[in-house]
Amino acid sequence: MPFRALPIVSLCFLLLGIAYLADTSKLPLGSAAKPGAGLFPLLVGTSLLGLSLILFIRSLQGKGILEKDQEPFPEGRDRRRVLAVAVTLALFGLLLNPLGYGLCSAALMAAILRLLGLRSWGRIVLISFVTAALSFCLFDFLLGVPLPKGVFLS
Amino acid sequence: MDSLQGLAYGFGVALSGPNLLACLFGVLVGTVVGVLPGIGPIGAMALLIPSTFSLGPTTALIMLAGIYYGSMYGGSTTSILINVPGEAASVVTAIDGYQMARKGRAGAALAVSAMGSFVAGSLGIVALMFFAPLLAELALEFGPPEYFALTLVGLIFLSGLGGGSKLKSFLMVAFGLLLGTVGMEPISGLPRFTLGQLSLAQGVELVPVAMGLYGIGEVLIIAERITGIPDLVKVKLRELFPTAAEWKKAFPPMLRGGGIGFFIGLIPGPAAILSTFAAYSLEKRISKHPEEFGKGAIEGVAGPEAANNSATAGAMVPLLALGVPFAPATALLLGALIIHGVQPGPLLMTQQPDIFWGVVASMYIGNLVLLILNLPLVGVFASILRLPQYLLMGLILLLCLVGTYSVNNSLLDIYLLIGMGGVGYFLRKLKFDMAPLILALVLGPMMEKTLSQSLFMARGDVGSIILRPISLALYSVAVAVIFLPYLYRLAAKKSNGRRK
Repeated sequence: MPFRALPIVSLCFLLLGIAYLADTSKLPLGSAAKPGAGLFPLLVGTSLLGLSLILFIRSLQGKGILEKDQEPFPEGRDRRRVLAVAVTLALFGLLLNPLGYGLCSAALMAAILRLLGLRSWGRIVLISFVTAALSFCLFDFLLGVPLPKGVFLS
Repeated sequence: MDSLQGLAYGFGVALSGPNLLACLFGVLVGTVVGVLPGIGPIGAMALLIPSTFSLGPTTALIMLAGIYYGSMYGGSTTSILINVPGEAASVVTAIDGYQMARKGRAGAALAVSAMGSFVAGSLGIVALMFFAPLLAELALEFGPPEYFALTLVGLIFLSGLGGGSKLKSFLMVAFGLLLGTVGMEPISGLPRFTLGQLSLAQGVELVPVAMGLYGIGEVLIIAERITGIPDLVKVKLRELFPTAAEWKKAFPPMLRGGGIGFFIGLIPGPAAILSTFAAYSLEKRISKHPEEFGKGAIEGVAGPEAANNSATAGAMVPLLALGVPFAPATALLLGALIIHGVQPGPLLMTQQPDIFWGVVASMYIGNLVLLILNLPLVGVFASILRLPQYLLMGLILLLCLVGTYSVNNSLLDIYLLIGMGGVGYFLRKLKFDMAPLILALVLGPMMEKTLSQSLFMARGDVGSIILRPISLALYSVAVAVIFLPYLYRLAAKKSNGRRK
């Protein structure tokens, strides 16, 4: 049986719609002649809610979850690899400010190289440090983007 | 300014040092991302928007447009050489292109696709040059109700024609519009849905959303499988010349493909992709030897490759004449214009002739450069594919992250990028179409503003807004797009029933 992702995803949209409409209710709706800040969000939120509800119900009925409606999700080692890449990205986001760009980008690069199949640790260290240093020079020095320096450099 | 004067003026603009460099750089990047899997024109344009901040709007647009049409050249290279389309618009090229390569005619296939792109691209630009001013003149009559109708109908068209589930596409429209309402309300400036974050008051940025959906999401999908380095067919320079017979067969499809491509490009929807399918089926239908299609028919390469290129020129028409984009790539161009403080719309041509004519002229130059660049250097571009997957994906991720950060130097954008990457992964796996989402995000604020203005003008009388002639015509077309397929199916069922 395929992984039933569609009911979960459509439920997420449904919940998003409810939360969004709850927030919309705090905005002034105005009148038809003088629409307020809440009118357009009300229309959008109602559409989202309605559409996701239909999709959710249909997916529970088993419609739209056939093989032609979705690509198969990876399993076993492949699934773990995708998850690991996602976790690496999330950690990059969380640690960018405290640890600084240099360290984070080197660690990200090393993790991706290792996860996607580079075996030699020597090369991993070399490539990740070179890319981190080069990208830092390019963006910080040449393009003037103030990248986070982190606790070690500042 | 008539078209020829305008074009002469445009060449003056486009041939100036920085603009020429921007054009060269744009088409080069376009070719490279066209070749590379994992990052396409949309991701690349989003990535490079921040780097255009220090440039003028004309230079920025010339460069970004170069990436857009340049990627159509690059996409065919991998289709032909390794049967892996670099872009969705090159899927059809792989059918006959790869078969030609297996028969030892890879060089001819590459040459014909580059020539086809060039011929059709140039035709498309000529059409753009004559169509856009006419449309802009018509659009001067447009008020807020017409603009609201145009954006709404554009989104409906895009969702209805995109293929796949309409329900899913409409849900993407709603999601994109929702993201577009975050931040200050366009008329009163009231902050909404900011979750208490000050930086969200400026709204959800297009760059992290586009890069997350198209860049990170794609990398996550590629990470599902570890692949080795593909075997490349080696192409020698002297093999690049098609024989006289091949030329004769390939030239008419280039012209037909160019024509189809341009008109499909005008319609909201995944124009470049649809146009390739349309051109391919046309060539197959009118061919005297349809059985050769799928086995290496040169017409099957020339037609679609021509079509996807002139479709990009067609897609530029609504953007430059109306200020309304109907494709994700032109939506990014609009985003770039707005960032540079340019007000897009029908007055762009007269008030900012530098931008309009400069970009049009740069497209002529760019297409010529692409032809020169792609034929002899095709081996160089193909060898990018020899880079191992881990290195490419690592670099793409790093570029997405730093590129996003550099827009506002904001961590929030990084979170948005990563979050959208995850969303993009699931939506892609479940075959949701991303184009309506991106377009709705860009068009949303415009829709809200024009809706409010229309209601205000009509003193709340909804009927009088809908019944204005141009709006009514647009709405009727949208209703037809939604319901005609159902009516058609119903009628087919009935006639089947009668037969029984």
